[in-house]
Amino acid sequence: MLPNNEVRVPPPRAAAQSAVPRDITADFTEASSKLRTGQLVKDETFTLFEAVGALEIMDSKMDSGYIAPGENQAQALEDNYDVRRDLTPKQVVGLMDQLLCHEMAWHMGHPLSQTLFTSIYIDKLLWPVPRTMEDARFDRVPSESPLVSHVLRAYCLALIKSCDFVHARVASEYFYEEEDFVTQLYNRSLLSAFDSSHFYRLLDQAVDWVEVEEGIDQKVRDAIRSRLLLRRDFLASVDQDLEILDTRSTDSFMSCLSHLKALAETVSLGTTVPEAFSLKLQRKLASTVPPRPIVHIKHEDAFAHMKRLCQDAIDLQQILDYRGPSNFKTAVWTLLSRKPQPSVYIRSLLQALIVSDLTILGAVSVKQFLYDDLAELVLPSSILLRANTDEVEVPSDPRFQIAQQMEGFVKRFAQPFVDTVRCACLNRCRIRRTICHTVIDWDNLQMEAEELDLQLQNLSAEPALQFPGGEATFSYPLSSWAYHQKLIQLRLILQMGFELSIYAPEELPGVYWYLSHICSTHLAHLDRIRTFIVAARKRDLVSSSSRAENPAQTSPAFHKSFLYLERLTTHIIAIDAFAIALHALYVLLARHNVLPSASSPEAYSSDRLRYELRMKPFMPISLPELVPYEEYQREATLDGDADTTILDRASKAITEARKAWEATLANGAFSEDVSSPTREPSIAIEEDWRRDIKDTMRACIGASIAIETVKKALLGDSPPSEKKPVNLQVVIPEIGSKTQWHDWWIVPQISENKTANPPTS
Amino acid sequence: MTHDAPSDLRYVRYDSARESEYVAAMRQLISKDLSEPYSIYVYRYFLYQWGDLCFLAMDEKDEMVGVVVSKLEPHRGGPLRGYIAMLAVREEYRGRGIATKLVRMAIDAMIERNADEIVLETEITNTAAMKLYERLGFLRSKQLHRYYLNGNSAYRLVLLLKEGVGSIRTSFDPYGMPHAPPADQPAHAVAATQGNGS
Repeated sequence: MLPNNEVRVPPPRAAAQSAVPRDITADFTEASSKLRTGQLVKDETFTLFEAVGALEIMDSKMDSGYIAPGENQAQALEDNYDVRRDLTPKQVVGLMDQLLCHEMAWHMGHPLSQTLFTSIYIDKLLWPVPRTMEDARFDRVPSESPLVSHVLRAYCLALIKSCDFVHARVASEYFYEEEDFVTQLYNRSLLSAFDSSHFYRLLDQAVDWVEVEEGIDQKVRDAIRSRLLLRRDFLASVDQDLEILDTRSTDSFMSCLSHLKALAETVSLGTTVPEAFSLKLQRKLASTVPPRPIVHIKHEDAFAHMKRLCQDAIDLQQILDYRGPSNFKTAVWTLLSRKPQPSVYIRSLLQALIVSDLTILGAVSVKQFLYDDLAELVLPSSILLRANTDEVEVPSDPRFQIAQQMEGFVKRFAQPFVDTVRCACLNRCRIRRTICHTVIDWDNLQMEAEELDLQLQNLSAEPALQFPGGEATFSYPLSSWAYHQKLIQLRLILQMGFELSIYAPEELPGVYWYLSHICSTHLAHLDRIRTFIVAARKRDLVSSSSRAENPAQTSPAFHKSFLYLERLTTHIIAIDAFAIALHALYVLLARHNVLPSASSPEAYSSDRLRYELRMKPFMPISLPELVPYEEYQREATLDGDADTTILDRASKAITEARKAWEATLANGAFSEDVSSPTREPSIAIEEDWRRDIKDTMRACIGASIAIETVKKALLGDSPPSEKKPVNLQVVIPEIGSKTQWHDWWIVPQISENKTANPPTS
Repeated sequence: MTHDAPSDLRYVRYDSARESEYVAAMRQLISKDLSEPYSIYVYRYFLYQWGDLCFLAMDEKDEMVGVVVSKLEPHRGGPLRGYIAMLAVREEYRGRGIATKLVRMAIDAMIERNADEIVLETEITNTAAMKLYERLGFLRSKQLHRYYLNGNSAYRLVLLLKEGVGSIRTSFDPYGMPHAPPADQPAHAVAATQGNGS
């Protein structure tokens, strides 16, 4: 369905500087008299976007300022609600909880106009714009009830201030307006001008007042107190949130969690005050948005959202100790792959922590980060990473020239490389879409790196390697590294596709085939890298002995690379084997017409066109080349292979997959660096990682069972024949269902059909 | 399962001579499922330029029970892209294949006009609409996060009609990082259901 867009502010059009105003009323009247009623005169540049953004004035559904005939103007715009009225303590609890719901709804991506800005109390604090903290009150004459003028006011002010910090954090990072968050403030300020110390002071005063107020029932008093304390700690959490890099302290978020527990237990004490919220306030907000309903979320959903936010913020601390690029990348990806995905605030905070001012985690320069990654994968102990123009100042010296080339490399590659990590902070849909885009950049980057490699191999006088029966060849470390990045991205495009549920059942055999194709390409590439590192290691041993150096100096670097390659290889073998097994399984299901199909026989399009469409992100990539349709068709259908051969393939592959996933699990989430001192382990994130692998292993077991079921049906006592099709029922589980163990591994539910004549699709 | 469209229905192409009558009925039919209606300009945008790609299902009393609204134009200087903007069938008429028939008519008309591909979006929860389009050969090309105002995500569904279209380069980078969505892909819609039959 055509989207009905919220962005109703047309892009500003620059007026020509020389324009001279002229009265066109007469021209306009004459021209318009020649038109039929309703006839459209459309500017060339009038787009659908603008058509959708247009409002019909005087239509109550679209025009938020519209006052119907007979409607009293004052009543239509103003609420009778008296912000000075007395509130019972229970009503204060109810109001605080309702406000928290609105705050969290805003965090979840709803606009302020449908959430917090429907609160009459909040509106009074923010409009007219307060010039001093004193000004920021519900009414010029404060309510005589301290519960209102002290307690509720302090609560509301602190809430607005924490929104100010959240707003600033999100707005300063990559996010998608309206998808992730709505930054629109409707010409209000979230008290940004006032220092947070005011808010803490007011909260403290309110807490002090509540604590000694004898007139309130103990339980309710505690409930109000814990809500004020939550506000205090949440404000402290989001205030200066980047300081965690220095303090490593998650105390405020921890306190929030304990107050939240108290809140959830006392939510029933509150009495709602629905009349303190009004849709009429939308009419006063500077916006071209039609009237929209107040968003109501449940208390438990609001609490759950805030709880997750706090927990994610606490666990985020575990990524802050830099332990090398691969560990860092694993931790970031794992944390951000939590379900539900961490909130936009957490994702923004993480972006800021990952890289600010060209520094990773506030500690490592992006150059160092890039070099660490190169050293780990392709260049352990290499002159390319050691060369430095500070030490060698003679321009004719190859080391000087190497250093210069490498500087150019860093300039060009550091940002895209950091972005591969940062990309995980986008929403899940955008991660895949962004990778579809950046993988093309990496294709070009790889070619650029290859140019550099050629020059560097001359400068470093790299000896060629002679492959048996082949030509002499060189290591091409930078482009090898870039190719590795690209292969990861190509794999992610396919895997995120499963997660986002974009494949039709009939596509599954083909997509799993392609996944294994990418994996085997990757494995071959890692082999090549390993070969060159082995050769470099041999040369290093020879040269260090000739220089009477201690090879122990360089051996940890090589050791680290070999270990890393081993870990990568094991992991990719695991993915590859599982993909091969599922591919074989799905081929059999398709072959025997029991694989459900989304498209009907009367569908438009064709398999070839659907392949072209599905592989569109792979099409512009020069290496690996897109597999031509004919070849894909042959390979993906295992054309010519007998059922028994395919069954055998499936069984062998799933056995190998289970072993490889076991090995991956045993390797652990993080590679331990023997040379660095032991650090705090990333317990929560490591646990997430282990759960992910274990879910995959469960999916493996599910696939083994499915393969056995198919084997029994095909090779059992009554094998299928032309007259008697195979007696199986196949269900493709939905993402998120219980039988779907892992988002990236779609395992079919296969059972024997009870009926005598099973349907064929 | 798709049933034959009932014979008491007539399927007609939009006729601009009957604009006032048709557009009013169309708006009523489509707005029924929308919390926020499209402005008249949205209808005019499509009908003035691509009225011949709009098809209507009328019952025996000549009342409108189904409608499909589409457009067809080069996509960023690249492929000739059809877009199915709105599809609605009156509730009591659903399940009779009316929507499928209307969509087929729109697709056939676009094929006649040499379309390279056809795209649309549907709400992720609207399984009936998704099934309808997927049965016709559409694939989900991507998921769009919180595409609609109610916070629901959408799928972009694409039907490729000609070979080589996937590699046609467009003049604008659709995956760019800027926050504003590309001009012809507004970021959000109201809680719209692709009214569906079949």
